[in-house]
Amino acid sequence: MARTLVGQRIRDHRKAKGWTQAALAAHLHISPSYLNLIESDRRNIAGALLKRIAEALEQPLEEFDGAAERRLVDELGEIAADAEVASLPLDSPADLVARHPGWARALVALHRSGRDRQHAIAALSDRLSQDPFLGDAVHSLLTNLTAIRSASEILESIADLEPARRKRFVSIIAGDSRRLSDVAHALAAFLAKAPAAGGAVTPVEEVDDFVFDNGNHFPALEAAADALAAQAGAQPGAVDAALSAWLRREHGVEVRSSASNGGAVHPPRFDRAAGVLELPDTSAPSTRQFAFALAAAELACGAQVAAAIDGSTLLTAPASRRRAERVLLSYVAGALVMPYSAFQPAAAAAQYDIDLLGRRFGASFEQVCHRLATLRRPGAEGIRFGFMRVDPAGFVTKRLALPGLPLPRYGNACPLWAVYGAFRSPGALVRELVEFPAGERYLMLARTVEKESQGFGVPPRLLSVMLVCDALHADRTVYARGLDLRASAPAVAVGQSCRMCPRRDCGWRQEDPIIDAGMH
Amino acid sequence: MGAKVLIAEDESHIAESLGFILEREGHRVETVPDGETVLLRLRGGLPDLLILDVMLPGLNGFEVLKAIKSDPRLNSLPVIVLTAKTQPRDREMAESIGAAIYLTKPYSNRDIVERVRHLTEAR
Repeated sequence: MARTLVGQRIRDHRKAKGWTQAALAAHLHISPSYLNLIESDRRNIAGALLKRIAEALEQPLEEFDGAAERRLVDELGEIAADAEVASLPLDSPADLVARHPGWARALVALHRSGRDRQHAIAALSDRLSQDPFLGDAVHSLLTNLTAIRSASEILESIADLEPARRKRFVSIIAGDSRRLSDVAHALAAFLAKAPAAGGAVTPVEEVDDFVFDNGNHFPALEAAADALAAQAGAQPGAVDAALSAWLRREHGVEVRSSASNGGAVHPPRFDRAAGVLELPDTSAPSTRQFAFALAAAELACGAQVAAAIDGSTLLTAPASRRRAERVLLSYVAGALVMPYSAFQPAAAAAQYDIDLLGRRFGASFEQVCHRLATLRRPGAEGIRFGFMRVDPAGFVTKRLALPGLPLPRYGNACPLWAVYGAFRSPGALVRELVEFPAGERYLMLARTVEKESQGFGVPPRLLSVMLVCDALHADRTVYARGLDLRASAPAVAVGQSCRMCPRRDCGWRQEDPIIDAGMH
Repeated sequence: MGAKVLIAEDESHIAESLGFILEREGHRVETVPDGETVLLRLRGGLPDLLILDVMLPGLNGFEVLKAIKSDPRLNSLPVIVLTAKTQPRDREMAESIGAAIYLTKPYSNRDIVERVRHLTEAR
């Protein structure tokens, strides 16, 4: 999808150390000409050599794995779809990222900022045209102004106006001026209460970047969850009772079961101030367990969550920080229910069988999928999974991106992705080996999940959850059974989104591609 | 010889000023405050021109305009739609139904006078 961009970085770090190409090449036991090809991005490198280069330059391997750049390149590619820049010869975002990463990041940030403002303007415009108070106020303003203008023009233009008429039109002006003042005051008060427009970047995007920047893994929160589990005596697979007891013992939290009785069913609610955890009596066991874990995380791990947020420069808006807090508390809850040291080996042993892991840890399909996407502890990594959750309208409600497979920011993904196909057979796992236009292959696994059943007569709230991993790792999963994983084997031809996809003959195409194959 | 102008406007101060300036131009003016009365009045005989506010109580201006333009006995009447509704879709609506002129408030007296003269002289 995006070509490797490590060369320029290697060159920069080499120069920063004051080394010549020949010196570094000698250190690595490769020829200077080969190093030159690498630094010019004319040779892709990975694995052992990349590791040796990172060690030689005393940099973490992540500095050179190109994930952040690939993400940037894809975001620039999406920006290139906009009409405002469509005429630019932006045929190589990869070069821009490689040569001027700061400018590339700034361009993405500016674009997001501009798009966000467009949304804010559109929202305000909708509000102006649809708000009944504003509609009435504007109508009154224009009516009063019309009466004042017309009467004052009569007074101004007719010198010989008889006194009684003159008095009458002056009276009209005075009366309508008073009404105009009243309307203006009411309007000013209304606008003063109106919420301010949002920041430059949406909270969802800021938190998305923050999580991606941390590789979907937060060691300090894993440690906090482990400490809490030990304190509460929670054992993997049965944290429910232990956490419930801990909440009551340490914080006096009362658990209340709320009866649904055919009415609307709410998700579990934790009122920290009142010390009450309210659980619907129809909640699934996995939902109850997660609710206990979330409440415990909030009470015991707030400081660690705050430290993780404070340590990031990506979370600028208060709304982003609040969202990040919710995301990280859920992360801790997931780590409590599925502790890393137990879950990661169990996942590997079960060949990432989601249902099996769910039964073992008392967790839901979605909880397991989400947890699987966080297994990045150095030395004990699981398969690197991306995670995505969408609603039936295609709106992305959760995402943990995968290097090389960024999940679309500015629109929906390809309709052929399993995450959408899962809606055709609710509750059934959809397995799909897919191939992107540049030849990358991924295994996609998706299934719908139903949120808080509302009972008969209310449409179930279905969401589709997808895990995706590079097809190279698929053989480590149970989902490879019966699949021909050879690169020549048939796979579903997909793209990232119509605008990004060069498959012109695709029957699902909704809009023209803005780039050609091999652009990156 | 001035024209017969019917003004449908529920805001009495506007109707009063508008009537005054048109009468000074030599027109004969009658003012009505709502949509139903407009149609009743028209069925008793056509004026030369109707100045029609949109936000009328009861039948609104668009409904009145539609009734006029769909009635063969009334549809030759030129209508100036006068309104505080400034959205493009309102203008499109008025013009699609058959308004001769669409004027948004606040207008200038001179503007109204000239447009009335233009429409009535053309008849």
